[in-house]
Amino acid sequence: MSERLDELEERISALRGEIRRAVRARESALTRSLRADLRTAERAWDLALAAHEPPSPGEPHDSRAGGGASARGRGAGPPPGREPEAGGGAGPMLPVRERVHQALTLLGVPSAARMLVAVHGALRAGPLKGTQLASLRRDEERSFRSSPFARPYYLCAALTDRLSASRGLFAVSTWPLERRVVGPLSARVDFLTSAVRVAEHVQRISGPGGEAPPAARRLLARMAQSIPGAVPAGSGFPGAEAVARAARAELDVHAADDAAARAEIARACERLTDAERLFGGTILSLAAAGRPGAERET
Amino acid sequence: MDRLDTLRGPVPPRPHDARAIAALAANPGCERRAVLDAAGVDKDATAAHLGFPAPFGQSAFAITRGNAFEALVKENGCAELLRLLRDLLGLPVESAGYTDLGDMAGDPPAHRRHEHTRRLIDRSAAEADDDGTLYDHPLLRLEIAGHTAYLEPDVVAFRLGGAFHVVEVKSFAVVDGQAEPEKVAAAARQAAVYVLALRTMLEELGHDPLRVSHEIVLVCPENFANRPVATLVDVRRELAVLRRQLARMTRVGRIVDALPPGLTFDLAPGPDGAPARPVAELRDAVRRVDARYAPECLSTCDLCFFCRDEAAGRGSTELLGRQVRDALGGVATVDEALGLADGSIAPGEGQEEIARLLRLAGRVYAEAG
Repeated sequence: MSERLDELEERISALRGEIRRAVRARESALTRSLRADLRTAERAWDLALAAHEPPSPGEPHDSRAGGGASARGRGAGPPPGREPEAGGGAGPMLPVRERVHQALTLLGVPSAARMLVAVHGALRAGPLKGTQLASLRRDEERSFRSSPFARPYYLCAALTDRLSASRGLFAVSTWPLERRVVGPLSARVDFLTSAVRVAEHVQRISGPGGEAPPAARRLLARMAQSIPGAVPAGSGFPGAEAVARAARAELDVHAADDAAARAEIARACERLTDAERLFGGTILSLAAAGRPGAERET
Repeated sequence: MDRLDTLRGPVPPRPHDARAIAALAANPGCERRAVLDAAGVDKDATAAHLGFPAPFGQSAFAITRGNAFEALVKENGCAELLRLLRDLLGLPVESAGYTDLGDMAGDPPAHRRHEHTRRLIDRSAAEADDDGTLYDHPLLRLEIAGHTAYLEPDVVAFRLGGAFHVVEVKSFAVVDGQAEPEKVAAAARQAAVYVLALRTMLEELGHDPLRVSHEIVLVCPENFANRPVATLVDVRRELAVLRRQLARMTRVGRIVDALPPGLTFDLAPGPDGAPARPVAELRDAVRRVDARYAPECLSTCDLCFFCRDEAAGRGSTELLGRQVRDALGGVATVDEALGLADGSIAPGEGQEEIARLLRLAGRVYAEAG
């Protein structure tokens, strides 16, 4: 077993050397494939080590920082299915912003703290408390203002039609602006989208014929309550597929109107500075300026 | 108005909130309350200075519970409320707009928030095809005896058949379709204040005030779970009482004119921060204005313990509740009623009928006891 580890370590260091050369030569395509090879090798090394030493505390290392989030962004393959169990150990080791980012990536829409806590608790099996989110957005804003774009992503605000930060909604800075602004129908659209995403995730972690963990099913059942046609006539948990179908059906009704409203607000956002575009402007009615009856406030 | 300022003394008038305005409608016959409220006197401080502090206000647990339930109903863009309105009022699926009127940058002052509410409500009343269906955290305004009171209903829903509906979220349970009548009545009175404020606003904006429905949507937890359920409550009666009471407040001058000149409930603080006025003097001043005490006052008025003590001191039948007081019409005190019952007091003019009934009741009790 240790021969295999030696072999892998050699390969890893060789790959690192090649990556360095490729980066210097600005061969980005080659770099990318080499990096992928390196990740595969590293994962193999982790697995080999874990097999070598069964009660391995090294496993949480596997889902550190960006690795865990990007795996979920792709959202496919068996590793995400395994993760809830592994997350039991990994959850507390991740910083709060990382956990919030995970939950937001899963939902894919601007979400309130309550929703993030519920989703994280039910699907990511890591503790996340509402109080931990209280100052998060302010901290992110401070970090951004002191050194803009230094981090790969920021947890930022959703913007209202007044271009100010919406109360209590979290979003990710890498999302397109259209997704980060909220119009009158957006609350409903985002809720339905979240329901679809949660249903899909539940389907994924339960696998064919399997059952999702109770917490996940409860979350889905709670969301299904307020979606017409999602709850079965009798008692019992609604099926993930049925919830997703019902939510999509209502989504179809609102989608076009909502997209138009959001695009309009996003256009208005072009007037904002970078920081304001992420954390909300202070000028009250930029967006309202083009509307009838909105000329009073300046 | 000068007269009211004299009554209040050199302190700023106390702003009214919906609960206080609703309480006005609870006991329309009480002159003491009408005068004190019209003058904007701080009744709580008055009661405390008189030595009858009211154990008033909600318990912290009740407030937390209420807020948690409201958050549940309103989370995810009022998703639960939308379900209820679809079930109860047949709200079409397309109408799912949600606008948080309180969501403005920073912490704007009340008049600014009111302006914002006004503008958006105006727009949705004018446009037939508007996105807005639910308006969260609107801020309304009502003129109470020359003072402006800002009121914040839970939610205003629009587009249910072209009408505005006030939605009131309360955390008392509806068990098997039944809720405590007193609590429903209190919620209806409070919602009536919002309906009136909203109607006033629409009228000012040049829309038909009757587009605000007299039926409010009351949202409560169902049975013993936390699942919300909605009911329509007709508040026409409460509205009528409220209007009458508010009109009375603006005409409170008549009551005030009958009071001795120079009368004041001045609570100006002395050097130590406590009101400088001698207690006995204030007590005499408050007693100059007639109260109409009823046991219900205990849940709505800060001065309740003072008035109860006063009624007890007189041996008044008011202590026994409105029904008893009305049944004993013409008999002012408990002693008089007992005297009539055992025959020790001869019935006066017009008291023969009630005296006969009281003697009969007395005999029944004597035989039973």
